[in-house]
Amino acid sequence: MSNPGRLKDLVAAERARQRGRLLIAGIAAAVVTAASVALLGLSGWFITGAALAGAAGAASAQGFNYMLPSAGIRLLTILRTGSRYAERLAGHDAALRALARIRPALFAGLAAAPPATAMALSTGEASARLVQDVNAVEARFVRLSGAWGMMASIATGTALLLLAGPMPALAALAVTGTYLLVADRLATLLQAPGREAQRAAGRLKEDFATLAGAASELRAYGLEGWAAERIGARSAELAEAQRRVTGGAGWFELAQGVATGLAAMGAMALSAEQSLPIAAMAALGAAMMVDGVAGFARGLERRGTLREAEARLDAILGMAEPPRPARPALADAPVIRLAEPDALLRPGMVAAITGPSGCGKTTLLETLLALRPVEPGRISLGGADIAALPPEAARRCFAHAAQDAALLAGTVRENLLLASPDATEAELWDALRDAALDARVLALPGGLDAWLGENGARLSGGERRRLVLARALLRPAPWLLLDEPTEGLDAATEIRVLERLRARLAATGQGALIVTHRAAPLALCGRVLEMGGERRVAALAA
Amino acid sequence: MSQPAPDKQRNARRQAWLKEAARAGGRWNGLATGLLLLDGVAAIGFAGALAGGLGALEGGMAAAWPWLALGVVSAAGRGACATLSARAGAEAARRVKTALRRRITVASLAIPAGERPPVGSLMASAVDEVEALDGYVARFLPARRAAGLVPFLVLGATAVASPLSAGILAATLVPFILAMALAGGAAADQARRQFEALSRLSALFADRVRSLPAVLAFQAEAAETRRLSGAAEELRGRTMGVLRLAFLSSGALEFFAALSVALVAVYAGFNLLGLLPFPVPESLTLGPAFFVLALAPEFYAPMRRLAAAYHDKQAAETAADRLEALEALARSPAALARPIPRAPAIRFRGVTIRYPGEDRAAVDNFGLEIGPGEVVALLGPSGSGKTTLLNLLLGLAPLTGGEVLVDGLLLSEAGSFAPSIAWMGQAPLIVPGSIAANVALSRQDAPAHEIAEAAERAGLGRMLRERPEGLDSVLDERGGGLSGGERRRIALARALLKDAPILLLDEPTAHLDAEAEAAMIPVILDGARGRTTLIATHSPRLAARADRIVRLA
Repeated sequence: MSNPGRLKDLVAAERARQRGRLLIAGIAAAVVTAASVALLGLSGWFITGAALAGAAGAASAQGFNYMLPSAGIRLLTILRTGSRYAERLAGHDAALRALARIRPALFAGLAAAPPATAMALSTGEASARLVQDVNAVEARFVRLSGAWGMMASIATGTALLLLAGPMPALAALAVTGTYLLVADRLATLLQAPGREAQRAAGRLKEDFATLAGAASELRAYGLEGWAAERIGARSAELAEAQRRVTGGAGWFELAQGVATGLAAMGAMALSAEQSLPIAAMAALGAAMMVDGVAGFARGLERRGTLREAEARLDAILGMAEPPRPARPALADAPVIRLAEPDALLRPGMVAAITGPSGCGKTTLLETLLALRPVEPGRISLGGADIAALPPEAARRCFAHAAQDAALLAGTVRENLLLASPDATEAELWDALRDAALDARVLALPGGLDAWLGENGARLSGGERRRLVLARALLRPAPWLLLDEPTEGLDAATEIRVLERLRARLAATGQGALIVTHRAAPLALCGRVLEMGGERRVAALAA
Repeated sequence: MSQPAPDKQRNARRQAWLKEAARAGGRWNGLATGLLLLDGVAAIGFAGALAGGLGALEGGMAAAWPWLALGVVSAAGRGACATLSARAGAEAARRVKTALRRRITVASLAIPAGERPPVGSLMASAVDEVEALDGYVARFLPARRAAGLVPFLVLGATAVASPLSAGILAATLVPFILAMALAGGAAADQARRQFEALSRLSALFADRVRSLPAVLAFQAEAAETRRLSGAAEELRGRTMGVLRLAFLSSGALEFFAALSVALVAVYAGFNLLGLLPFPVPESLTLGPAFFVLALAPEFYAPMRRLAAAYHDKQAAETAADRLEALEALARSPAALARPIPRAPAIRFRGVTIRYPGEDRAAVDNFGLEIGPGEVVALLGPSGSGKTTLLNLLLGLAPLTGGEVLVDGLLLSEAGSFAPSIAWMGQAPLIVPGSIAANVALSRQDAPAHEIAEAAERAGLGRMLRERPEGLDSVLDERGGGLSGGERRRIALARALLKDAPILLLDEPTAHLDAEAEAAMIPVILDGARGRTTLIATHSPRLAARADRIVRLA
């Protein structure tokens, strides 16, 4: 099912779409390096020629054609500057346009992948990495013109050096070629430290999250210094790995320096038979030829990062599931048939799901939502096996209030509209009132448009839970799936929320599955499904 | 341009913060810069070798060899200096990041509970944002210092060969600086905003990936994809406008770099020909003329190196703002009260706790008298300040008004009673290592038999007997294989092991099923014996077993 190369297709499509801009960037880059090589070569030739002519006497100085070279020098100067500007602008324009399309495509790919992948990626660490991976792809787009610059540098340099004879040209080409090979080898060698740095960062994050989550406990036991020590040790590992990466990149400088020296001096020595102006041109031209390919060679340094980024993005894109065959539409409010616990739930029914922690109550809800894979024959929806249903057919039937549901980094309104994009202002407030959150939202500066911060940081844990509940209440689905909806609420608020829920269910005719281990919600439920009985028996026997 | 003054102030503070942070690099900072200076010296040597070699070539290869060898050595020397500078910079960055991360870690742990950003955000600060200083210390700072010195080195060497050429180079510097001051300032400002806008889009993307299960459950994937497309497209449009301006300043740099070479070449050529339309005090020969020509590109090279490291500076500045804000949240307790020998009386008198920037007080004029050894349950709706009151005693919440007296000691003077407190929360700390080591976190020099005793009292006995290694069983990174109840028992054993007269329990039975809670309650009450105990809880069953229930509104 994996489909390697999806990212490549996407990037190739964008390259085709941005062909015009990339072409401009490439040509401009080529002009930049060609002009640089020619500028220095011509200047060297001009000065040396002028010196010889000047030394030969006034007549010969007058006879020296200085107009053409000096005009050429000025032209090349302007050409180089203008082209550099054009290269940058066109290159970034192409990269930004491509990225503005690749980012949403990646998100859509992720949304179409089996939900397990999405859930695995939804930790902060993984999603942050995804962002960096995309940035690596963007940087690659910007650098695409580097190859043009390299080729133009080699072509112009070779042409200039051929004026001095085949030997200087061959020598400069050999040095430049070796330099590129060495840079390629260095890039390969740097991949291992790069990966180690990434692993070290992962370990540091894990330790940091564990310890920073227990600040009160650390303070009580005077362990803050100890914790800082532990994190410090991990941090030192990461810093050391990163030092090796940054320091290793320094070798590119040495390679470039040696190549410049060898190319310039070699070209000069091999042009000794020629006139001095030609030798001067050869030496400076050879030096600039190496300079012109350096941009491309440095780009190789990030090859390891790019390859890993591409592999990860590819993995995401390649996982999109093939669409399941469309089925006859489900009844508006389907019957739910569960094999474990054995139950038949008719539309409008309110059932509680109870059982010890870890027996799979939350998993059951996520399975109904097609957020988890399921074996055939376990759950059917309106008579159709959920394992064979397209995910959207199942999701249409449910409104979910997850136990630790993520809130969008946005406003209260944006979070509520996620469930029902067309809801009116009055419906939003109704849902908030039913979740006993209206007073709190009213008190927020901006009300419905108050910014909640990352994952609802401005709200307390209980308030976040009630906002998640309000969100689920807004969705006009035949079944509500509520996961511990009143956990963390005080008794009075809990009763209020449950009373409102009872009234709402009666009015809408919606059914509900309520996961809970508290007593109060059971009063609403016509039926209690006990889960994990067998597991408990097995545990007692062991 | 509308509010230049606050922007300027903010920038000055940011620069001061970065400078202070970079100081940890010590002599490696200087070394990285010094090696770049040497790189400039080697560049002068290379130009000299080119000129000398060319001059000597007339006399045949034998005469030219030493010059050519000097050229190769100088060029290789340049490479070596740049390599070593990169390594020194990397070492400086290593030191700076290690020191800064320690500071940020300490600060993160000292942020009052009510103001603490989510752990994920703290983690991003301590790891990724600190990492953003890498390029700043390793590349940008050495490049900036070198850019202040190397051009003058080049200028000096040029002046020795041809004072007028040096004059030409210096003269291009004046309009260059003017152009940079005009375009560069605005461009830098714009570029920073663009950088921030880009991070915002990245954050939006990361956020929607994080909340993907909710997005899927509500079938909002198409809508969210469209939203991302819109945001990305809008950012692209704005960014291009900014980039046009930003590239102008780098264009100016390129232009003056090229112009300086062209002017020197034309001047030297006409001087050599004797065709200058005005009289000059110097008459060049091939050697010096070629030398200044070869050296001319080096005049602007340090500035170009600096420009290449510019995004490192932007990344560091963005990180500096966030890290500085994080450090500002941290409060270190003024002092720690000395340990109290026996269960104390605790009196809350008119206690008010208000976090800065919050629209309401977390606790408002709260009063409570607790007798020595009494067990008090705090009940109340979420957000009523139960946990905040417990954190107040630890010095992890600000005492805005009123006073807390513990056996006559004032909280406002002591800052924190942490040395006399044992704590158990709903998400206990579990670190990789043996169970014994985890229990002994509260008293690391505790003898083995006391650890075993505490574990037994906390009800860990059965679990330990089931494991062949008992207390020496090793727990992995995530405390795998432990149930929620077992984690809490470890935390309780930890609390019992510390001989503290005050016991604070924060939702000790949350997320436990009824059976596990029923088993946990007697163990908690046993641990509370002989200690003044405060329990923040939602559980009526647990509260019913306390000596007294206090309801918070």
